[in-house]
Amino acid sequence: MTPWLENLIVIGGLAILIATLWIWAHSDRWQRAWQRFRRDRLGIASLGIIAFYLLVGLMASLRLPAPAHGQACPTILDRLFSGVPKEKSYSAPFADTTYSVNRPEPLKGRHPLGTDVLGKDVLLQTAKACRTALIIAGLTSLIYIPLGTLLGIVAGYFRRWVDDIIQYVYITLASIPNILLLVAILMVLGKGLSQMAIALGITSWVGLCRLIRGESMRQATRPYVEAARALGHGPWVIITRHILPNVMHLVIINLVLGFSGLVLSESILSYIGVGAPVGTPSWGLMIDSARMELSREPVVWWYLVSATGALFFLVLSLNLLGDALRRAFDPKSS
Amino acid sequence: MSIKSLRSTFLPENPILPAIVPVRFSLVLVALCLFTGCGNNPHPSPLREKREDGSPWKTAYRALPDTPRSLDPQVSYDTLGHAVIGMVYESLLQYHPFKTDPYELTPCLAASLPRRLPGPGGGAIYEIKLKAGLRFHDDPCFAATGGKGREITSEDAAYAFKRMADPKVECPILAVLQEYIPGLQKAYEQAKAKGNFDYQQPIPGVDVVDRLTLRLQLVKPYPQIVYWLAMPFTAPVPREAVEYYDGRRHGGETRPQFKFHPVGSGPFRLAEWNRNRLIRLVRHEDYRATVFPSEGWPIAENRRFQPVAGKPLPLIDEVHFTIIREGIPRWLLFRQGYLDSTGVNKDVFNSVVSIGQELTAKYRKRGVQLHKDTEPSTFYMVFNMEDPVLGRNRPLRQALSTAYNEDLSIEIFSNGMDIKAEQILPPGVFGYQRNFVNPCRQFNLARAKELIAAAGYPNGIDPKTGNPLELTIDVTSDSPESRQLTEFQKNQFEQLGLRIKLEENLWSRQQDKMDSGHFQIIAYGWRADYPDPENFFFLFYSPNRPPQGNNHSRYASPEFDRLFEKMRTMENSPERLKIIHQLNALLVEDCPCVLLSHPVYFSLNQPWCPRVSSNPLLSGGLKYAEIDSALRQERQAEWNHSPHWPLGFLLLLIGGAIGYAVFWTRRHHA
Repeated sequence: MTPWLENLIVIGGLAILIATLWIWAHSDRWQRAWQRFRRDRLGIASLGIIAFYLLVGLMASLRLPAPAHGQACPTILDRLFSGVPKEKSYSAPFADTTYSVNRPEPLKGRHPLGTDVLGKDVLLQTAKACRTALIIAGLTSLIYIPLGTLLGIVAGYFRRWVDDIIQYVYITLASIPNILLLVAILMVLGKGLSQMAIALGITSWVGLCRLIRGESMRQATRPYVEAARALGHGPWVIITRHILPNVMHLVIINLVLGFSGLVLSESILSYIGVGAPVGTPSWGLMIDSARMELSREPVVWWYLVSATGALFFLVLSLNLLGDALRRAFDPKSS
Repeated sequence: MSIKSLRSTFLPENPILPAIVPVRFSLVLVALCLFTGCGNNPHPSPLREKREDGSPWKTAYRALPDTPRSLDPQVSYDTLGHAVIGMVYESLLQYHPFKTDPYELTPCLAASLPRRLPGPGGGAIYEIKLKAGLRFHDDPCFAATGGKGREITSEDAAYAFKRMADPKVECPILAVLQEYIPGLQKAYEQAKAKGNFDYQQPIPGVDVVDRLTLRLQLVKPYPQIVYWLAMPFTAPVPREAVEYYDGRRHGGETRPQFKFHPVGSGPFRLAEWNRNRLIRLVRHEDYRATVFPSEGWPIAENRRFQPVAGKPLPLIDEVHFTIIREGIPRWLLFRQGYLDSTGVNKDVFNSVVSIGQELTAKYRKRGVQLHKDTEPSTFYMVFNMEDPVLGRNRPLRQALSTAYNEDLSIEIFSNGMDIKAEQILPPGVFGYQRNFVNPCRQFNLARAKELIAAAGYPNGIDPKTGNPLELTIDVTSDSPESRQLTEFQKNQFEQLGLRIKLEENLWSRQQDKMDSGHFQIIAYGWRADYPDPENFFFLFYSPNRPPQGNNHSRYASPEFDRLFEKMRTMENSPERLKIIHQLNALLVEDCPCVLLSHPVYFSLNQPWCPRVSSNPLLSGGLKYAEIDSALRQERQAEWNHSPHWPLGFLLLLIGGAIGYAVFWTRRHHA
């Protein structure tokens, strides 16, 4: 993929996200929820942390023009870290020599989170891995959210044989152990970020579909839907104009909570060796590599701490945000 | 004291006691039972405590990183299988345990080294005489002798060759041997056509002369045949065992397959094989094939080996191979004294090996011994010589080789232990040149850039596209270490301005690519089957193409082939050495691979089990090992002494918590 196309996809995705939020911001229900959300300090703090991660991910994705012909286009993050030199091998955070008992050598620069076995700055690796996590979680959400929502609403609204077929599919899918199914799909598709997103997308929609199906069944019997039917609206109009907006808060909460699960799944799949390809910065790969370093004497701890720390704060923030959103959209709160 | 009296002694009178007491008593019993299980020794007890003469029963504890797939000597071709097979089976010949430079063969089941006679049509005949009175292990398969192992004869040695030719056995070295003993190929093809191998039919070229004499008739000279006679493939096998252990049900009982129930003539017999946990071997009481050597050890070891010289083997009674898949538990068990020896991996290297590559004070104080051994192996990155980009461009291959900093790789990934490979032959093999300097293996980025410009890619840019030249490395990155190494390799080549694509494959897919030639660069390694230069130069001999052969680079040089064909049948001599140097020079010039390293393994032995043999080609070396069981017991107790304060602290904590809970409840309900 050419760098300009990569940039176009990133900017396009961001534009769609902003536009969606802009449209939703005009709805009364969302405005009320926003008013409640603003008072939730934990929710706001989580949102701030997630925004920071998004910013880092964005900087690790957007490419700048290549410095010379034939050279690779650096990302904004690469440019920001261009002054950080590559070392020979391990060095501890803020150390001035390599991490060697036998032959410590002076470092070319300082590294706040140390360097890895190949002498790469761990802070830069951790920041770059944020992009991988966000891409996987984002792409997967783009697959499973529409799929789960659409199938859930269709099953809940039409019921009968449509519901039977959809239920049959998701019960079958849910009865296969998730991790085995993921590994099997990845064995067929091969390694790669898009392949991982497809595999996760195929296996992640069931929970959302069940939830939306139940809610759609409830909504489909409510007077406003009956009224719409009496006015002669067709199923498509009823689903898109009436039911979908009324289940959307569940989708959003599921998206946020599911996002943290997907970030973890990416790390787990990379950890077991079927996820991110070699050379792709990934928290899972970092944790897997760090696992071997824990038995090293003296122990190399910073690699594990950086990756798990970054993963922990993102997942925790997403979970807290999910809870805050649930509270904000909960009618009982109002 | 009865339970009733215990109850009255410790518990006050209470109307509900009869109901509570059994429960309390049971809980106390359960707690006591739990404590009886405490202890950190992971090994099951040895079969006996004492020998019949009252001396201590000696057991060796070793670890295997996985369970062997097969213990069939005619099938197994991996170090894991050979580690056990070498104990259970004896071959006709064996390597001298002390002589490694050069390696030396000695008789094992054979009474002497094979006698070479001139064969018809320029071929050769090898006459092998077996020792009389050697017996197989006792086993129920020997119905005629009531389970007592019968005597080994030349028929058993010939039977091993017949098994090699049986298509159902799938012997991996058949392709090599059938070139010299065409009878094997003929028998194989006949059996394949019929669907059944006729074991009654003799194989031409494998002749049983008398009860203890076997003759191998080769159609062309092949001096290396003697090395195959020292490998498990040619180890005599009792036909009764192969037929008895067929994996089928007999009289309501399923017998294991022969590959899981080996019956051999080695110093140990298989007593237990718990597939994922333990392989237990016990000494073969009738073992007579070899004794402890009377010479050959370093002079410094005179005091140690003189008393055991000429003694019957094995010196120990039992061997436990515990399957431990992870490196960390293996190291921890060694540190606790529960393993007799272990390798030193890179993670613990700094704590074990000092700057001068000696043992650190901590482990020296423990009496641990450190050994450094160069493996007869070479690792290298293969260039596909049939690739349109790499195959036709010698300067490009030389540039890639010159840009690869193997010294740095060795420093990062093996703590500076390995030897940088400048030639395909590893140390210890005839023809290895100790001070040889390969100009393409001296890291020099400026020179590499000159070479890549000469190759038509200045600064790595392909003039046809204006973009960096893209090359693909096929890898199987299945562990963190291999991923890191792969990334290192990519970085090395990218220093030239190239773009390196990494193609990750499963092992089977990688093997397919190597066989079909659908790759550009691939990592490979070769460990000597036997210490002869032929076993390494054949990796570049053009008729030895995959899938039958191992010339994965598909290097084809008429000059190389001509010299190789001349060299391979020669005995070691100055003339042979001259040809070896010529072959080496051709490989340096044509650069069909980036030579990486000859691995050096650091290993540790506990003070109660000092190492005997340093020969990496010797399988079954444990028969020479001696163990001081009393010292082991003493050290294990010393190294596993656990302090009592954590238990006291825990009890205090629990007591405090209960006390606080009682106090809180009383105040709350007051």
